[in-house]
Amino acid sequence: MIPAKAVQTAQAVKIGRRLRLKNAYIGWSFIAVATIMICLFYFYPMIQAFLLSLQSGTGVNLHFIGFSNYLRLFHDPVFLTTVKNTVTYLMIQVPIMIILAMFLSVLLNNKALKLKGLFRTAIFLPCVTSLVAYSVIFKYLFAQDGIMNRMLMKLSFISQPIPWLTDPFWAKIAIIAAITWRWTGYNMIFFLSALQNIDESIYEAARIDGASSVQQFFKITIPLLKPIILFTTITSTIGTLQLFDEVMNITKGGPGNATMTISQYIYNLSFKYTPDFGYAATVSYAIVVLIIFFSIIQFRVAGDKNE
Amino acid sequence: MIKMSNLKRFFIYLVLVIACMISVFPFLWMIVSSTNKSVDVTKGSLLPGIFFMQNLHHLLISSDLGTALFNSAKVSIITTVLAMLVASLAGYGFEIYKSKAKDLVFNFLLLSMMIPFAALMVPLFRMFASVSQTVPFMGIDTLSAVILPTITTAFLIFYFRQSTKMFPKDILEAGRMDGLSELGVFFRIYVPTMKTTYAAGAIITFMSSWNSYLWPLVVLQSPEKQTLPLLISNLGSSYSPDYGVIMTAIVIATLPAALIFFIMQKHFVAGMLGSVK
Amino acid sequence: MKKLLALLFASVLVLAACSSGGSTKQTASDSKDVNEITIWAWDPNFNIKALNIAKEVYKKEDPHLKVKVVEMAQADIVQKLNTTLSSGTTKGLPNIVLIEDYRAQSFLKAYPDMFKEVTGSFKADDFAKYKVEAGTYNGKNYGVPFDTGVAGLYVRTDYLQKAGLSVKDLQHIDWNQYIEIGKKVKAATGKDMLSQDPKDLGLIRMMIQSAGSWYTKKDGTTPDIANNTALKEAFKTYKALMDAKIVKPVSDWSQFVAGFNTGDVASAPTGNWITPSIKAEASQSGKWAVVPLPKLSGVPNSVNASNLGGSSWYVLNIPGKEKAVDFLAKTFGSDVDFYQSLVKEIGAIGTYKPAAQSDAYKAADPFFGGQKVISDFASWTNKIPQVNYGLNTYAIEDILTVSAQNYLKGKDLDQVLKDAQKQAEEQIK
Repeated sequence: MIPAKAVQTAQAVKIGRRLRLKNAYIGWSFIAVATIMICLFYFYPMIQAFLLSLQSGTGVNLHFIGFSNYLRLFHDPVFLTTVKNTVTYLMIQVPIMIILAMFLSVLLNNKALKLKGLFRTAIFLPCVTSLVAYSVIFKYLFAQDGIMNRMLMKLSFISQPIPWLTDPFWAKIAIIAAITWRWTGYNMIFFLSALQNIDESIYEAARIDGASSVQQFFKITIPLLKPIILFTTITSTIGTLQLFDEVMNITKGGPGNATMTISQYIYNLSFKYTPDFGYAATVSYAIVVLIIFFSIIQFRVAGDKNE
Repeated sequence: MIKMSNLKRFFIYLVLVIACMISVFPFLWMIVSSTNKSVDVTKGSLLPGIFFMQNLHHLLISSDLGTALFNSAKVSIITTVLAMLVASLAGYGFEIYKSKAKDLVFNFLLLSMMIPFAALMVPLFRMFASVSQTVPFMGIDTLSAVILPTITTAFLIFYFRQSTKMFPKDILEAGRMDGLSELGVFFRIYVPTMKTTYAAGAIITFMSSWNSYLWPLVVLQSPEKQTLPLLISNLGSSYSPDYGVIMTAIVIATLPAALIFFIMQKHFVAGMLGSVK
Repeated sequence: MKKLLALLFASVLVLAACSSGGSTKQTASDSKDVNEITIWAWDPNFNIKALNIAKEVYKKEDPHLKVKVVEMAQADIVQKLNTTLSSGTTKGLPNIVLIEDYRAQSFLKAYPDMFKEVTGSFKADDFAKYKVEAGTYNGKNYGVPFDTGVAGLYVRTDYLQKAGLSVKDLQHIDWNQYIEIGKKVKAATGKDMLSQDPKDLGLIRMMIQSAGSWYTKKDGTTPDIANNTALKEAFKTYKALMDAKIVKPVSDWSQFVAGFNTGDVASAPTGNWITPSIKAEASQSGKWAVVPLPKLSGVPNSVNASNLGGSSWYVLNIPGKEKAVDFLAKTFGSDVDFYQSLVKEIGAIGTYKPAAQSDAYKAADPFFGGQKVISDFASWTNKIPQVNYGLNTYAIEDILTVSAQNYLKGKDLDQVLKDAQKQAEEQIK
């Protein structure tokens, strides 16, 4: 037995060495298709967009203007409003959604819970809806005499209907509610998966030490979930900074630009007004810069706590 | 077994039931509306009506629902299959044949997640327009043009790489000992073991492909290429749209995605589990 | 490993090829074959039906021409035209496309040479002047006129009655009188006078066009906001409407439609194309009437006629254009019988003056208590003041919706308009 094992090991070492030589070659071919596709369909168009951003004009009558499109950004009130709106969504919606997703996943992770599958399915269900469907539905829910207002009035929470989609403040709330409805279940699944990997004995030990469930949550669950919190926060941040579908379909950016996002402004500049593709491309680079900025901040915040 | 006090249990169920009601209510309303006349839909009626068959009939005569369903299915299925293949190969490649250079490439690919689609739309369209003459089956107004740019996403590569991290590497070694080629190891050993990972990835990809609107809208022109979201958007563009018919179309468009999720949800959760370990 | 790559690429290509199977017809508009023309339009109940009638009519002229009608949402058509034309290609574009009058100038300027001139293919004098103007660029006709957006005030006669009023009290009034009537109706019935979507300034557009004014000066490019008396009066009227608490706010089209279908509002000042939506609620038959749109008070040249929406046909400069022009000229451009069918079958009113004398236009409509609605609309059409919609209607309107919000919140009107003027000047170059 022993010699056989030794031969095997020797063989494995030999194979391993050969493998390392081949690795470089084989490894690259595994990732080649994906890399080519992403370069072709993301980075190449982005370079094109950059060249466009140095030009200005309507439709096909473009001419080179250098970086003045970038300067225009800083005194374009509409652009500044859309940045403000987008950051507002980000600051309010992402934390609410992440906390809610985490909270629900902790409740669902309870071993003694019955009908777990049913609850999980129901909460995830919003993710399967197409944006067309969900925007139509939310428009009706939040209409002046829509189901939402009727319900709130019946329960006497409010005496007058709330102008959900026609008032700048409430329209933002409605958009935030819609995004939260659609994406909380999605993020919850990530948390739920992570929770199921946490060893029950850690909680057992904590319980013996007399830790309450609240303490367990803050001292054990949150630290262990940190990678997932970072992951969901960054993907949600990216999603929110690119927000388009919801706003386009529910409020069209109104009333008076109150809910308009940067992506929607790009769309308007390209397709709604007399098209100015050069400036539209410039605005899209602003999103890229914002996303990189926020991602770095989030990595920093998470990193500091790790140390 | 963990014991819960009655009060706590009541609280947990209460919260979950409320969360479920909020999640499910819009669906119920959507289904109810598909059975109502246009006027009742606009009134926000909550009571089911008897007009489902009539709405369906109107839908079938006023639009080419069958073609749209078929196109949507074709696009989503091909996208999903190719996406799984390309992304899992890459995720596997980045993790199993790890090297500094590849990690650099990986991080570079992740940057693509930060590019908003609104920015890509016009340049991408120009790209496809320029190949239209030489490679007509890949030019604008073809389903391949809808599919190609959506196959590869950095998110999916990232997801497969994360899942591969937990993959027991010694099984691969055993496969090589049995004389399998590297590709053989991937297809014979990795793919069957990672079934749940594929299931979860496939669900996410299928759903985003099934529901995608903006890119198909830009690149498709002929009605016989139309996908479901485009059809619904057409129905709503009328001076006097029939909302009962629109809701019926929405129900039909939502059903397949919901059904696939129901059938595969066990694998879905299990697959997600693998990626976040 | 080359095998692997080859295999992968092959499979991608094969699958891609499969997915585009049956795409042989795609090059129809590229080929020299001019036995088929393609047309893009939106709204299955209106424009598409009109096209199908035109198709039948044209069969008498040329039974061999195949006319392919493609239905697409308006926003989608606008987006496709922009994406395709800006790429410098015409591949996949139709021969004829429907464009809203407000957007026409912008397309004609942004993509010169892409549209075919149609001057002379129809008698411009036979059409309402404002309509021909919308499709004219640099003195050349590009648009073949289609539906009029002639506006009217749709009112519920039963609600008026409850308030002790009748249709006579609403003939040729101004907006201030309208507000007073609205207050009376609300007091008597509890119903709002109209519903309004705060991000759609259609109401203001109708008001200023009734005074022959627009967001831009006659040249179509210089913003005309700060010193525009009609616009200023329109803003004041808009605020007065809101302050009178007779407006039900809505956030989209379906809710606007629901507003009158459910009987929640007593009137709808809007384009004539709303008629089918109003009639959709059959139980309200006999309770509606249409009166001329109110005019602006204090603006001397404002009349009781205006326009909202409406669109025209444009021919793209691609093979098949001659056939396309001929198709339009022999149907929308000159056929009285065709216009009669349009009115009878879909209630679509054109701007072709000779058609107004025909029988179909003079029919009484029982839904509107026997009023000769079509004939009334046709006569108002000729009174619509002609304006140049210019290049930037929607860009300026988006600026003005913010201004309107600020003004409603109590900011000074002159300041608000001055700011809007400045912003428009910076944005539009």
